[in-house]
Amino acid sequence: MSLPSPNTAPPLQLPAFDRTVLRVIETVVPRPERAEWIRNWQAELWHMHHRRRNQGNIPTIAATTDLSIGLTRDALWLRTDSWRRTYSGSAILCQASLFGISLLSVLMALLLKISWHALAAEYYRSLVAAPLVLFVTFATAPRRHIEPEAAGRMLVRMRRRLFFAGKTEHILFFSFLLSADAFEPLHASLPNVADVMQVFAFVLFALIGMRWAFRDQDERCKHCLHTLATPARVGRPSHNLLEWNGSELTCKHGHGRLSVPEMETSWCQSSHWIDVDTGWDEAAFL
Amino acid sequence: MNTPRLSHSAALILKALSLGYCFGLEIMEVTGLPSGTVYPALRRLERDELVASKWEPEDEALAKQRPARRYYEVTREGKAAALAATQRYPLLAHLVPEKRS
Repeated sequence: MSLPSPNTAPPLQLPAFDRTVLRVIETVVPRPERAEWIRNWQAELWHMHHRRRNQGNIPTIAATTDLSIGLTRDALWLRTDSWRRTYSGSAILCQASLFGISLLSVLMALLLKISWHALAAEYYRSLVAAPLVLFVTFATAPRRHIEPEAAGRMLVRMRRRLFFAGKTEHILFFSFLLSADAFEPLHASLPNVADVMQVFAFVLFALIGMRWAFRDQDERCKHCLHTLATPARVGRPSHNLLEWNGSELTCKHGHGRLSVPEMETSWCQSSHWIDVDTGWDEAAFL
Repeated sequence: MNTPRLSHSAALILKALSLGYCFGLEIMEVTGLPSGTVYPALRRLERDELVASKWEPEDEALAKQRPARRYYEVTREGKAAALAATQRYPLLAHLVPEKRS
């Protein structure tokens, strides 16, 4: 959709109120879409005033205000959609969501008025359980994980590990707090049962969380850490023992693709990350 | 292909577009929906490829001494969605009058 050239358009005589509203709200609109948004709304406002004049109604601020709600919500929609496109599936959104859950569990602990003394005791018990949880999840992680040598320079590998460490830390933290929150009401009447149940709940929450963390880590681009998309089936299941059969996921930024075998074979045990050779892009520009 | 499930207001807007109403103000007038509902809904419908938009040719608008408008039209998928919405909300057919040419 091409934008008409402003040089050839007739002059727009909008009232000062309209111009001010447009100038203020345009700052909300993402920069690449701003010119088109302004042009669109200038036209809509002009037509609204023109139509009212033709119908014998004096254009009022109330009428413009009514349309201003539309232009504000339109601008906000463009902004949130731009955020959605940018952050959807990103590592930042993942960490922010985990941080949000952690914050929520802290707020719940504050609302339940858990005493710091009780929380400290539960914390020490969970400290014992946490390494066990980590050991179990690492030892029983799906074998079809990405090959260790796959993808990446030192910096990229470091980022990937930091991201995973961040997820692990958040998961252990909110698993502990959520388990403490969940059994706090029981603590007053059955303190010993509540303590045991809290540790069990912590182990359960942490195990589920860590399983998810492993799976999430595998299904991200090894370079930009965005969630891989557009899964496609490759190969025929009936040819399982003859040729490669599984699904492929690609990075939406074009860094590479992940081939996940349908079943483990002696010649293809793990998922395989294939970097897209940037040399092809450079060759295209030559 | 699965037709997307539309909200009542999105279905009403799509119905208006399929009856020939083609720009924001006109849709607001004919459906009675507020501007805060119509414009974001048009964006969502366009993102979901149920609606496509194009600018009015500049010389056409210039000849009528007015700024060019952004016109919306229903895509093939949009027509299928409008049909499904009319079956889901039978009263839709009576809410929006046919556009007089």
